[in-house]
Amino acid sequence: MRRIGHFMHAAVTIILLIAIAIPFIPLFFSSFSHGWRWPEVIPHAFSLRAWVYVFSGNSGTWEAVWTSLEIAFIVTLINLLLALPAANVLGRLRFRGKWLIEGLIYAPIIIPAFISVMGMYISFIRLGLTDSVTGVIVAHIIPTLPYMVRALIVSYSTLGFQWEEQGQMLGASGFQRFCYIVMPHLMPGIVAGASLSILVSLSQYLVTFLVGGGQVMTLPLILFPFISGGDPAIGSAYTLIFAGMAAFALFLMDFLLKRYYGKKVTVHL
Amino acid sequence: MWPNIKPYIYVLPTAGVLLILFVGGLIEGLIQSLGYFPAAGQYGFSLDYYRQLLSSSDFWDSLILTFRIALLSSLSAGVLGMFVSVCLFMLKRPGSGRKNQIWQRFFQLPLIVPHLVWAYLMVLLFTQSGWLSRILASLGWIHHINDFPVLVNDSFGGDIIFTYAWKEAPFIALMIYPVLLRIHGSWFEASRVFGANRWSFFREILLPLLMPTWISSSFIVFAFTFSAFEVPFLLGVTYPRMLPVLSYNLYTSGGLEARPEALAVNVILAVIVSILGVAAYRLSQRWSMDEQGGW
Repeated sequence: MRRIGHFMHAAVTIILLIAIAIPFIPLFFSSFSHGWRWPEVIPHAFSLRAWVYVFSGNSGTWEAVWTSLEIAFIVTLINLLLALPAANVLGRLRFRGKWLIEGLIYAPIIIPAFISVMGMYISFIRLGLTDSVTGVIVAHIIPTLPYMVRALIVSYSTLGFQWEEQGQMLGASGFQRFCYIVMPHLMPGIVAGASLSILVSLSQYLVTFLVGGGQVMTLPLILFPFISGGDPAIGSAYTLIFAGMAAFALFLMDFLLKRYYGKKVTVHL
Repeated sequence: MWPNIKPYIYVLPTAGVLLILFVGGLIEGLIQSLGYFPAAGQYGFSLDYYRQLLSSSDFWDSLILTFRIALLSSLSAGVLGMFVSVCLFMLKRPGSGRKNQIWQRFFQLPLIVPHLVWAYLMVLLFTQSGWLSRILASLGWIHHINDFPVLVNDSFGGDIIFTYAWKEAPFIALMIYPVLLRIHGSWFEASRVFGANRWSFFREILLPLLMPTWISSSFIVFAFTFSAFEVPFLLGVTYPRMLPVLSYNLYTSGGLEARPEALAVNVILAVIVSILGVAAYRLSQRWSMDEQGGW
């Protein structure tokens, strides 16, 4: 009975690994293929054409990667500054109307951001925010901020008040308490919130397209024409870069947390 | 007086930004959908755009398609996610903690990969000239490219459902796994004493405990698939379109005078999705109240 259990566990795990890994195989082949005709499971000839194009100067890949990262990091920094005080009270205090604030913060997770962005497009034009990186950053705050607040609330709710009170009794100033007591405790929440915020910002297509008006080219925007009926090899190469960037964000979060604590800490996405 | 006002000052930056950008955008959209659209020289309020929308068969076809795809996506993601989670839990080997964590990272991969990427993976796998069709051809099961059924860009939306099921099942699994972890191993042994097998243990004990979390996370997946844009934009057909794509097409392809109609679609989308969101929230609340009752 026990051996059957082990066998079943291994079988289920392997099936899952295959189900997750298999879709990436044709993507990989396609990006290196040289005229991949139909009945061939593996391309008969390989070439670096797609990758050479993607990394050549005139494809705009580097600019797009840079723009995507720039937007994602600035949005995340703004989110962190906005979310810290809010999470502080939402995680630790009870007050009248709290449910209303929580509802407001969680609503953008459910209602997609493009609905708001389409609604205030005219105002964006009036404020000069369209066709600019600034405008895209402002628009990306809507879908990303809730994740940052959510992650920080979890951290704050396990902090309590006693440690800070003790620090105060021992004569620590407000700034010292924040640096030496609050920040270290919040670190996992900050890293989790930041990586979620970066991931969500990186994967925005419609909001960037609406506000950026084709002037702000991020990676999903540069990728889309190639995967919707364009050159499949180049589309595959871009898709791999896009997936790689997202996976790198998770890896970085993991690495930072491990470095910080010197052990494995699970982050709740 | 001061301590009473402190929380409101602290939440002000976040709440203010969301009120202006998110709620402000919703309200502006609502006002414009009612016909007040100075940019196109329209100043009167009316329900004309809603009337126009509700009397067009385009809209109803889109709504029905969106409901069907969201329902089938969330159901299949829910069943698949529950199956995976329960399988991994029931078959868990004691004392393999570290290895399990590496697997768990790997299972998060579909959550991390952007939707557009996942949708393109489905295209490469399941088009008529895709990888699956190539494999079947080299096995000699099909002889012509047209022998493989049209799975991508078909009007049923099977490709969209499949993409969502594959992508959201790990989300469901991750949501219910913490609940499973609170169930003690001794409970299974206790149920064995009373003559339960694995199946009845699942049906009588696991299922009732998992149900609230499972339903609320399935509702979240439903709301998400109902209103997400990227996947149906890449995989959908020209008619009927899913509601977010319909709204996008009305918004971008027509002139300024077509925009209020797009915004009316958005208002209807927002209302449906909010109802679903509140339902999910209520279900999870009920669960956490039960939780205080203790188990």
